[in-house]
Amino acid sequence: MTSDMFNLAILKDTVAIHPSNFGLPPEQALIAELNKKYANRVLHDVGLCVSVFDLSEVGEGKVRYGDGFLWYKTVFRMVILRPFTSEVILGKVKSSDESSVRVSLGFFDDIYIPAIYLPQPSCFDPNERAHFWIPDSELTKPHELLDTPTAGRMYIDTGEVIRIRVEADEFYDDEPGPPKALEGVAVANEVRRAPYSIIASIAEQGLGPVSWWNGAGAEAEDAEMEDAEMEEG
Amino acid sequence: MEVINSRSALLSNFEVLELLRDLENDHLARTKTAIRVKKEEEASGIPSQAKHPATIEVTENVRTIQVEAIQYLTAEYQPTSSQTPNGITQLVKDLANYKLTKAEKLQIVNLAPTQPVELYVIVEELEDRLGESMETVLSTVSASLSAAPSHPLNASSPAPVLPMASSDTMGDLSLQYPSEDFNDAGMVNDMVFDDEGQGVGIEGDLDKEEED
Repeated sequence: MTSDMFNLAILKDTVAIHPSNFGLPPEQALIAELNKKYANRVLHDVGLCVSVFDLSEVGEGKVRYGDGFLWYKTVFRMVILRPFTSEVILGKVKSSDESSVRVSLGFFDDIYIPAIYLPQPSCFDPNERAHFWIPDSELTKPHELLDTPTAGRMYIDTGEVIRIRVEADEFYDDEPGPPKALEGVAVANEVRRAPYSIIASIAEQGLGPVSWWNGAGAEAEDAEMEDAEMEEG
Repeated sequence: MEVINSRSALLSNFEVLELLRDLENDHLARTKTAIRVKKEEEASGIPSQAKHPATIEVTENVRTIQVEAIQYLTAEYQPTSSQTPNGITQLVKDLANYKLTKAEKLQIVNLAPTQPVELYVIVEELEDRLGESMETVLSTVSASLSAAPSHPLNASSPAPVLPMASSDTMGDLSLQYPSEDFNDAGMVNDMVFDDEGQGVGIEGDLDKEEED
């Protein structure tokens, strides 16, 4: 399976142009309307729409009874963000909590590295609010790991540039339901689930904060590569 | 709304950046024109209309994603801003010798690894498949990156034919491009005005309407 962050999706939709925009060349008005509708929105099972790439086919504009809009049936291509499984991408650490590290691309930030996908052994340091990894350690229990000197710890700090491998993605089609009443108290908002989220891993040589690997000597890497048998994704 | 093909072609980060920069330049040009027109109208005493006929309103979601995506792709930790179409074309040609999958070639273009460990995460079984050539691959990648980041295209400079050049050589990566260049105004010319009279089962009431 090929992998790339961005791809093109071919979509078909009917677009309405308001009379105030009749002075524009139709393709400009259509692209603008399509972007208005789709840009920065998630299409279920497709990905995050970034921008219209081009128009492939446009039907004749038709006036519809009841409004003055011109309706056009269009087939167009949309730039979609949807990194593939096993793809490696760069991002920045946005935040961390006990269960995961959150990574952001700026325009998309629902990327999570669950604790199981951190290099082992690692642990969450509540004082720093960050996870850390201790390379080549045999310790396994959190209290043992938290006992180690901080100098030997490789922290994953907020704001760091990080190289991650995509493990999976999830689409959530949220349909608003009636507010749930819990013991007489209406719960107004359920935890808002992102319509599209990515699960990633850094449990592999070369993944994780780029600062961990930059300038590592070629010999050191050769030695490490011979040892490493970790295969992810 | 119908999804005809959720993944019809792949785009490199560089191509997406080019598209977004084109759109950004269009937007800036239009905004400047709108401001200029407005000033002229005010100066000549014409009450400015609620909406000038030639303005396109750009909603927040469009601008947000365009601006943020450009920021992401031009970040200094990304190689994208140091890439040029010729550099990429050359890189892809050079990589053809190494029996890499499409995925690996495209990721090499996107991530531009310059160190062995970066290449290691992209290419599976690196030592077995590349072995000695690893260094050559890395130096080829470095060579494809220009020294200075390419500056954003300004509205005044002609839109380059770049996407076409890369598309020919990157044909094996199944990238698709519109059949014509993006011109300065960023308008896409390859539209087919399709005179289909009867809709094919979409929004039935459109069919019943008479056109004025």
